Amino acid sequence: MSKILIGRYISGNSLVYKMDPRGKLLATIFFILIVFMANNPLSYLIVTVFSLVAVAATKLKPKIFWDGVKPLIWLILFTSFLQLFFTVGGKVYWRWTIFAVSSYGIENAIFIFIRFTVIILISTVMTVTTMPLEIADAIEWILTPLKLIKVPVDKIALVMSIALRFVPTLFDETFKIMNAQRSRGADFNNGGLITRAKAVTPLLVPLFISSLETAIDLSTAMESRGYRGDDGRTKFRVLKWSKYDLVNLGYFAILIVLLLVFRTH
Amino acid sequence: MTIDNIIKIKNISFTYPESDSPAIDQLSFEIPRGSWTSIIGHNGSGKSTIVRLINGLLVPNENEDSFIEVDGTKLTDDSVWDIRNKVGVVFQNPDNQFVGATVADDVAFGLENRGVPRSEMVKLVPEAIKAVGMTDYTHTEPANLSGGQKQRVAIAGIIAIRPKVIILDEATSMLDPEGRDRILKTVHQMQDDYNLTVIAITHDIDEASLADNVIVMDDGHLITQGTPKDVFAQAKLLKEIGLDIPFYMQVKQALLEDEFPIPEQVNSEKELIKYLCQLNSKK
Repeated sequence: MSKILIGRYISGNSLVYKMDPRGKLLATIFFILIVFMANNPLSYLIVTVFSLVAVAATKLKPKIFWDGVKPLIWLILFTSFLQLFFTVGGKVYWRWTIFAVSSYGIENAIFIFIRFTVIILISTVMTVTTMPLEIADAIEWILTPLKLIKVPVDKIALVMSIALRFVPTLFDETFKIMNAQRSRGADFNNGGLITRAKAVTPLLVPLFISSLETAIDLSTAMESRGYRGDDGRTKFRVLKWSKYDLVNLGYFAILIVLLLVFRTH
Repeated sequence: MTIDNIIKIKNISFTYPESDSPAIDQLSFEIPRGSWTSIIGHNGSGKSTIVRLINGLLVPNENEDSFIEVDGTKLTDDSVWDIRNKVGVVFQNPDNQFVGATVADDVAFGLENRGVPRSEMVKLVPEAIKAVGMTDYTHTEPANLSGGQKQRVAIAGIIAIRPKVIILDEATSMLDPEGRDRILKTVHQMQDDYNLTVIAITHDIDEASLADNVIVMDDGHLITQGTPKDVFAQAKLLKEIGLDIPFYMQVKQALLEDEFPIPEQVNSEKELIKYLCQLNSKK
């Protein structure tokens, strides 16, 4: 069971894997922002090519990325069709009551489609090549400046890493309870909405109780291992920038420059 | 010369807030340095409460002439962190004491809390992982480890901080027989290598019979203390408080019931085997 649970991380050994998670996280966030700089066919082509190269650089099967896009495909198509039928302007090819297909509409629909897809692709590249734990480390690093306004970043980081560490444990626990209740006749998959909601009770109540017990046990163990919660803790896990991150940075810089040059002003 | 006792407990009582009667009642005992002590007793006899009192997780009832002393340091509000540096505890549930996201992170947790610089941790952590034979699993996540492996990681986490005393709070009770044997072997090795004092709280009478020293608890009282030989010779007393007796004692008693003449002084597995073999050769 726990195989699905290590997030969507898929182990691999290509260039993208060697990059620092902080760089990847920042690049992903900024990529989503700069995609909106693209505003003509050429700039969209550039964005698409850059995304596909990033996808190819992971050396993972294309199916993984298709799996990333799949859950959102209806949203993408729906938005694109809205653009297609409701954009007014340019040459009108077809008209029926309030619906119209125009050259602007077609262009906009394609742009929206590309925008959605590349954002999903790049986020998938990030999540698939970075362990959840590394993502947590990266978030902690990004939050560090908040220490200045007295945000307890260390504690938030500990909470994040404990939460991540318990995701598989709680999943296993959930399946165990489900099976135990099934063996006593509980039915989780049939009936109407209300019946099903009621069926969840014998699952949720034990799960809550066991989570609280786990929390108590864990806090006892942490305290007896010398955890005081105040400053003065050192860190074993560190992130290091490497030459691969220059590749990340350079790639991103080139993309921005190209977009700035080729977008219409 | 007096025996060097690393743990001294005198007149300790403890009452849980939600209960009327004390979980620990006027308890006093001492544990010799470097020994392996098993604490046995049935459920609710106060065994686990002792552990939590020794490392300051619970505070005993106030009493003028009571104290807990570990390695010469009296347990007070100020010294509790020193005491925790000297005492490492492995708890019962292997899942609920694993803090780190990987084996190495978990072993480093205690060192991080003590502010040990990273340059030292890089040396100490692999060393401790190696000591418990988990080197191949350094970067493994807890979800992919067995219960026995998680307990070995917990021991590594304790070894890394170099304590004087290691307490196993029913640390083997949730493991399969093989996992339990490996843990006990590992701890025996640690005891020799680092001159540790081991306190093992257990339900397993056979495990207790391998200790240097056995403490029997009942309803918060100390019933008897001594070598396993002396303690298990009192089979009647143990049965009265609802405890099992080791397998060799069961064999001895069954043979006695069948009017097989086994002398009173045969009180260990080795002696019993020897006696029975000799008996055979005489015929």
